[in-house]
Amino acid sequence: MNRLALLAFCTALFIAGTATAKPGDAAKGKEIYDKRCTWCHGAEGDGTGAAKELLNPPPRDFTSGNYKIKSSSFEDMVPNDDDIFRMIRDGMPGTAMPGWSDVLKEQDMWNLVAYVKTFAGYDTPPAAQVDFGTRVASSDESIAKGRKLYEEGDRCVECHGKSGKGSASKRLKGDAGERTWPRNLTKPWTFVGSSDPKDIFARLSTGIAGTEMPSFADPRSKKKLSIEERWHVANYVASLARTGRKVDAENTVIKADKLEGDLPNTPDDVRWEKTTPTTFYLVPQLIAEERYFKPSNDTLTVRALYNDKMIAMLLEWDDRTRSIPGDEAAEKLADAPIAEDGVAVQLPVAIPKGMEKPYFGMGDAKHAVNIWHWKSGAKDTTESINLANSRGFREIEKRDAARLKANASYRDGTWKVLITRALTTSSPDKDIQFAEGKFIPVAFAAWDGSNNGEKGSKHTMTTWYWLLLKPATGTRPLVAALMVMGLLAGGLLWWARSAKPAV
Amino acid sequence: MTMTQKRRIPRLLQFALVVFGVYFGFILIFDVLLGQLIPRSLLTMYMVFVVSGTLMAFTFTEEGAHELVAPIKALVEDPSRKRLRNAVFVIVPLLAGYYTYTSMSPGYEAPVELRTIHPAPPSKFKAYGKSYNLATLENPLRKYQKEDPAKYRELVKAGGDVYIKNCQYCHGDKLDGKGPYAAGLNPTPINFQDVGTIAQLQESFLFWRIATGGPGLPAEAAPWISSMPVWENFLTEEETWEVILFMYDYTGRQPRSWK
Repeated sequence: MNRLALLAFCTALFIAGTATAKPGDAAKGKEIYDKRCTWCHGAEGDGTGAAKELLNPPPRDFTSGNYKIKSSSFEDMVPNDDDIFRMIRDGMPGTAMPGWSDVLKEQDMWNLVAYVKTFAGYDTPPAAQVDFGTRVASSDESIAKGRKLYEEGDRCVECHGKSGKGSASKRLKGDAGERTWPRNLTKPWTFVGSSDPKDIFARLSTGIAGTEMPSFADPRSKKKLSIEERWHVANYVASLARTGRKVDAENTVIKADKLEGDLPNTPDDVRWEKTTPTTFYLVPQLIAEERYFKPSNDTLTVRALYNDKMIAMLLEWDDRTRSIPGDEAAEKLADAPIAEDGVAVQLPVAIPKGMEKPYFGMGDAKHAVNIWHWKSGAKDTTESINLANSRGFREIEKRDAARLKANASYRDGTWKVLITRALTTSSPDKDIQFAEGKFIPVAFAAWDGSNNGEKGSKHTMTTWYWLLLKPATGTRPLVAALMVMGLLAGGLLWWARSAKPAV
Repeated sequence: MTMTQKRRIPRLLQFALVVFGVYFGFILIFDVLLGQLIPRSLLTMYMVFVVSGTLMAFTFTEEGAHELVAPIKALVEDPSRKRLRNAVFVIVPLLAGYYTYTSMSPGYEAPVELRTIHPAPPSKFKAYGKSYNLATLENPLRKYQKEDPAKYRELVKAGGDVYIKNCQYCHGDKLDGKGPYAAGLNPTPINFQDVGTIAQLQESFLFWRIATGGPGLPAEAAPWISSMPVWENFLTEEETWEVILFMYDYTGRQPRSWK
């Protein structure tokens, strides 16, 4: 009964929410559009602003009439004013579209809605809405049903993969011919239209206009789903989140635990599960020629372990494609030209004593860095681990990588690369010498060889973060604490004894 | 203390109130209001001065000093307060022991790095194969704002195109330092909408910062971590001045000038 009441309340809220739409003034909207929006969307609203070629996804072409995130029925291309308003107000995560509510007044945003609609000649509201029916709350049962529907007849698996990571099995493209990739459903924070099951339900019902994501409400579709079934699938999709892959801005230190005995020598060793993952944003390389603008890899997760001789780092990232140059199937999926996938670890040759570090982009004339660069291999060559010392982009010295060992696996849309090295080497002037308890700057780079010509300087990277070989705590703090307590208690007692009682 | 004196807050409590008041004041001003976490080491140093200063003020007269320590002495010496005394004698050493243990245990927090955000500019710098004197350098395009408004609008538009193709990834469409890749950078990109940034600077300073980028910073500003590219490698001198026009125009701010 309570649940019903809550549902009724929520529905009422939803209706109230949609009812707030205020009529906008398109002429006033144009003034704002011309100042704020033309840079990406173009003066004519056709998505041909100056940044067109440099953004992924490309800026929306409003003249096409396609609105990806909408709540009107799949049968009607026209979105609700509210749908457009929401995108302007809140922006679209994972794209270059910011939310404008801190700059524009509410009425300004409604005026923009009115103007933006004119590009597609939309002047009447949509004829039909998404039918949300009765919301099915998430439960183990609903999730299990959703999973069955997700997998059944290749319904969602065809593009999003069984794991939901969107590991590609076919090429997808948008209406404008641009390459599109299926969403990685395990990273709900990258959903453009929010990861609330209600929003997922809406996407399942409307499809995503201008892409190959179809409507599952369409009765003509072989894969169609009833309202209840769509709620189960939405609940299942929402349950796929792997929050360990989300960046925690406070966590900037990779903490390597010390092990007794041998380190894991495979990426799937169960001992990795006990380590703390640290996840970093990957950003495209925009500081040196040739720059890179439309990346696919967005985060990298790192774990580390060490013993008294060796250190092991496990690097994990989701990549929709295993890029194998020379392999026919891999080349079909890739944007030509295909290149190897890869990952690199950058460490200073000398651990800095003060604040001064090597330049984060491959070091500088005064400070060399070690670069451990793993490449996935081609059809005729196996994977490789390479070592280089560099002092900036142009001064790179390739070195013998015999001291580095790598072991990689690609499964279900995820690369795991394990790299090990001895803590110390015989050439301390050229190799980093790892030491317990020191904060060691570390940075990373990654390549997705199937995406947009990623190769060489065209890659994603991080800034400097920290690697710490966690020292064993030892007994010193405990002994010191006990001593302090004993001394203090003794002192206080002595004081109390020696004080003359007040008469 | 005379009998006629009114009852007031005990001196020991006053002392505690002053010290804690200042402590939470620091936290309120820096961490909450300014959003700038005050480093623990710095706060400890400040508090040492605050405590010793307050102690000096409170013990300036012998009477005052006596009044300050009286409750403590009473606690130890007055048999009627035995129970409270025993409790204090257990809690104080425990707290001290806990503090010692945590401060001696190795920490895993990233080291705090203090870097100068607005470094003093050099008097001269080199870019585009030339030497510029920052004291006399002016934006050669600024004059069109008055002389030829139509041309000025064109230049601002050209600057906007430069901005959207090159700068928005980090500094954002709204020039607020929150571009799509901003979260992946440390230090974070500058917010040009903030009154404390370009509105406080001359155009020549911006030209220096853009043309020579992160690597052109002086050592106190930690050039090794700045993600700002060296823009003389990508933009022409003219484009750099255009984008500066755009930044002031879009934010509605005025550059500082020598006049």
